[in-house]
Amino acid sequence: MKKAIASGNFLRSKLFWAIVAELLILLVGFILRPDFLSIQLRTLSDGTTVLFGTPVDILNRASEITIIAMGMTLVIALGGTDISVGALVAVSGAIALKFLRWDVLVYNTPGDYTVQPFYLVILLPLLACTLMGLFNGALIGKLKIQPIIATLILMVGGRGIAQIVTDGKQFTTQYTPFKFIGNGSILGLPLPIIITLVVVLGVMLFVRRTSFGMFVESVGINPNASRVSGLKSGTIILIAYVLTGFLSGISGLIYASRISSNDSNNAGLGYEMDAILAVVIGGTSMTGGKFSLTGTVVGSLIIRTITTLVLYFGVVSEAIMAFKALIIAVVIVLQSEPVRNAISRRRDRIRTQMGGEARA
Amino acid sequence: MPDIHSRTLGHRERLRALLTNPRYLMVYATIGIFLLIYLFGALLYGSKGFTSVRTFMLFFSDNAYIGISAVGMTLVLITGGIDLSVAAVASLTGMIIAYGTTVLGLHPLVCILIALLAGVGLGALMGACIQYLNVPPFITTLTGMFFARGVTSLISRESISIKHSMIDALAGFKIYLTWPNAQGEWVKIKPVASIDLNTIAFLVVIVIGAIILQRTRFGRNVYAIGGNEQSASLMGLPVARTKVLVYSFNGLCSVLAGIAYVLYVKSGWNLSLQGAELDVISACVIGGVMLSGGVGYMFGTLFGVLLKATIPAIITFNGAMNSWWAKIFTSVLLLLFIMIQRAVIASSQRTRRK
Amino acid sequence: MEISFPGVKALDQVDFTLRRGEVHALLGENGAGKSTLIKVLTGVHRPDAGTMLLSGQPIRPGSTQEAQKMGISTVYQEVNLCHNLTVAENIFIGRQPMKRGRIDWKTINRRARELMLRMGMDIDVTQPLSAYSIAIQQMASIARAVDINAQVLILDEPTSSLDDNEVVNLFAVMRELKAQGLGIIFITHFLDQVFAVSDRLTVLRNGRLVGEYEAGAISKLELVTNMVGKDMNVIYNLQKAPRPDEAPVVLEASGIGIPGKVEDISLNIRKGELLGFAGLLGSGRTETAEMLFGVVPVHQGSISIGEEPLSLRAPLDAIRRGMAFCPEDRKRDGIIGDLSIRENIALAVQATRGFMHPLPQKEQQELAQRFIKLLSIATPDADKKVGELSGGNQQKVILARWMATNPDLLILDEPTRGIDIGAKAEIQRLMLEMCKEGRSVIFISSELDEIIRCANRIIVMRDLAKAAEVDGDTCTQADILAIIANEGEGEEAAV
Repeated sequence: MKKAIASGNFLRSKLFWAIVAELLILLVGFILRPDFLSIQLRTLSDGTTVLFGTPVDILNRASEITIIAMGMTLVIALGGTDISVGALVAVSGAIALKFLRWDVLVYNTPGDYTVQPFYLVILLPLLACTLMGLFNGALIGKLKIQPIIATLILMVGGRGIAQIVTDGKQFTTQYTPFKFIGNGSILGLPLPIIITLVVVLGVMLFVRRTSFGMFVESVGINPNASRVSGLKSGTIILIAYVLTGFLSGISGLIYASRISSNDSNNAGLGYEMDAILAVVIGGTSMTGGKFSLTGTVVGSLIIRTITTLVLYFGVVSEAIMAFKALIIAVVIVLQSEPVRNAISRRRDRIRTQMGGEARA
Repeated sequence: MPDIHSRTLGHRERLRALLTNPRYLMVYATIGIFLLIYLFGALLYGSKGFTSVRTFMLFFSDNAYIGISAVGMTLVLITGGIDLSVAAVASLTGMIIAYGTTVLGLHPLVCILIALLAGVGLGALMGACIQYLNVPPFITTLTGMFFARGVTSLISRESISIKHSMIDALAGFKIYLTWPNAQGEWVKIKPVASIDLNTIAFLVVIVIGAIILQRTRFGRNVYAIGGNEQSASLMGLPVARTKVLVYSFNGLCSVLAGIAYVLYVKSGWNLSLQGAELDVISACVIGGVMLSGGVGYMFGTLFGVLLKATIPAIITFNGAMNSWWAKIFTSVLLLLFIMIQRAVIASSQRTRRK
Repeated sequence: MEISFPGVKALDQVDFTLRRGEVHALLGENGAGKSTLIKVLTGVHRPDAGTMLLSGQPIRPGSTQEAQKMGISTVYQEVNLCHNLTVAENIFIGRQPMKRGRIDWKTINRRARELMLRMGMDIDVTQPLSAYSIAIQQMASIARAVDINAQVLILDEPTSSLDDNEVVNLFAVMRELKAQGLGIIFITHFLDQVFAVSDRLTVLRNGRLVGEYEAGAISKLELVTNMVGKDMNVIYNLQKAPRPDEAPVVLEASGIGIPGKVEDISLNIRKGELLGFAGLLGSGRTETAEMLFGVVPVHQGSISIGEEPLSLRAPLDAIRRGMAFCPEDRKRDGIIGDLSIRENIALAVQATRGFMHPLPQKEQQELAQRFIKLLSIATPDADKKVGELSGGNQQKVILARWMATNPDLLILDEPTRGIDIGAKAEIQRLMLEMCKEGRSVIFISSELDEIIRCANRIIVMRDLAKAAEVDGDTCTQADILAIIANEGEGEEAAV
């Protein structure tokens, strides 16, 4: 993370403003309702103690998007986009529930059991989503098809696949280990938060501890020079989409666990848009190049905080979209080239007046 | 003058050129596959009524809203852009009409006017953002989509059904198809088939779209921008104005599509048409419009919409298959067309005539 | 007809006169100021000083559209037309004749066909532009300019992608337009073509006017000498590497080429040898280097390293075989602007290791510092973004990147362009040291004195083909100039 801040010079301003924005929104919530930021430890009926409070809620509910957005950051940094992630979430849940309720013809009522081994319930959805990510990556990285249209295929077909897997039915389960994923907690922290943390750290480590991150930025900034310097963009792009597919699988498991069922119509709905927005708000440019995983996390939190804030004050959940749109509109206008140039010119003028070194 | 390029094209050569023009090829592919699938449906379910005129007319009337929206989207895609807000604006239109007539008691035409202002205005705003602020179309129209959906939800959270007499009249307007029977009288054909307002609107808008694209300077500028925006600018074409107009026009089409949808379902609902923007985009792509811009024909889009319509129809007639198979087949179709597009580009790059 | 005295930073007190009904060639090596002059004429740049007169009226075009309206049209090498539109449409777009409120396609097609016929092109104007060769596309561009009533037609490197027949046709069209009273500015680096079709010539060098000549009054050798010029006499304390005549051949290329571009190049280089590539801009040096390095796939012939034939599908293959390539266009093929100096330097090394085996930060830093010192890269620290450095320093970073891969064969394409004299000497010294260490270097440069000073052998390229191979120790600048000018062999291009 230190390196992320140090090398992201121009990003630092975007990341900085993103963090400022998040703090401001939290502040607004706090002003309007003092208990907005309160966190307490509560004991549940089954004896476990969990952290409660709006901030915890925000972190918890942002999990699905944050996890996907980690992969989406790399995809966008390479100049692409992946709109199939929502459908993959649906597929993930469908496969998981299918294997949880493998017995549905024999045992009609969902109970605290699973016929198929649990590792299959977890492994197969992840495998399927990884393969679909591979499909995307191959089309885009090797066949050089435009990302939007390539990922459109799975976006359209993915939910169909999810429905076919469960034969159109919606299953429920009471299997405790599965429900634990989305509803359980460890040491007071809800499990989704822990999973998110692991994923975020994992991706950060992968990206910064290997040269994958540098390769992604290189290809995103100047594909020609990268090629002459020996990089093979096809493989790099492939990996980014495979990773995103895998992460969508994880996200799908969390979602399915939360509702203890598979909802192929609503699972992952709008996730691709939220993930892209999280990345863009976090400072990564849609045209590709330098990226910031930290920024994406903050961006995801901002989106969830807005949603939570608005819900808190009784605004209808659908109208949240309007608020999201307004704030995002402000963000993208501020991040747009002409506006940024104008601001940086003013900043340089102030800097030289103060005798400091002007940033290029 | 050296004689290196003397070749006058005769009619046969002209025909061959028409047939092998790579851009036309994609439209031929669309028409060809449409006929194939239609034939497939006819063979399997002709006896159940797949080949009836009624079914064929339903292709148009059921998908009018997609088709009308696809006209505007075709223009946007040809410029190399994209517009994700179309379904949201259509839904908003429906809500405005529903809320306006039912709750506020306004005349439908007034509501339509308000919707037009909103839709075209949003389109112009997005177009300006894309052109002058250099924000990528994907993000801009995505935000526009959120905004439109949000406003729709703000108006009403529940579905509102429309009971206005004018709407009913418009929705109920039908021209029955008749043919002379054995006695020489004109009777309705069986099963009953009719041309409704939606179908007429669909066809009219497609024709207008085709005229714009092929016969107006605006339309040709759209192609030029999509082909090479920098060249277009250097050649002195009004790039900025054209791009803003294209998004505004698409806003108009979205509103018209919304009206068509209202006549179809006679209600307004904030969750209506979820994901329909991608149906519109896929219809265009299947119709031969390239996402990279510069290529596309209204005729192709028409058949793209029809082709997309045949798949759910076949599934319905089959009756046994899960309706979700339609989505899977459509996505396979999409994959097929993308591959065709790629192959066509690759081969046209290889054959450069001297 | 038109006189201009632009004084932009890249141009210094340049006078240029174009007469009605003449073909006027504009010559100069890279960086000489040609493109800047054209940009001023076409309104892309505003001159800081000086005036422009068109038919006696002072003009100040503010954009290419304005210049077009005034009658100054340009046909660029990349043909700024829209390839998805038909030939006819490209000629008439933006000003299509209308009939009853709709575009009159019949008239457009008819008039376009007439226009193209007048230029010797009997083609189907209703086909998309992309279906035709560059030659025809250029003609369409010229047709458009002529139909918009151009008075001045600027042709920017029009012959680079044409074959001999097409060049002949283009010249015929140019003469026809000349007869109609157009003034044509012809920018090219093919000297034979200059003499074949131009009436007068203007030579620029380093942003300054060298001279204006009548085509009949100057010889090719004089022209080349004026373009390339003699550099300042700087004392270089350099000792050439010994000629490794017995050393094993490191790389051998036979008959490699890309149809339509460079054809049939054969060369070899020995261990420890410094091979120079001389020739004018556009003579095929960079194309040859790109073939050797795998940047472009080779369609004919073969390349082998040691005794093994090589199949290069991508630069990574070449790098893995011990080759390195410092490209000419550092902006497009060189710098990753938003990444730091350290990352840029380590990039090629890292690419060969794959991303799973990253170079430890410490090693990266050491590597970067080593080269910053070695090449005197002016930067406070290695984490500064490369995009913020000056051009010369950027070039050094790219050089560092390639030297860091420890190559057996290093290809340098114009490494000293845009670098100050002191640094130039540094780089030349470095090259010679590398040869002494047993590495091989291919050194491409437009500055003949550099090449002669450093190279053991020199290959002279001309017009996309290998013209000659000379001994680096015994030849002089005059010899090379003569080869480039193709004088002394009594050959004239057949026009």
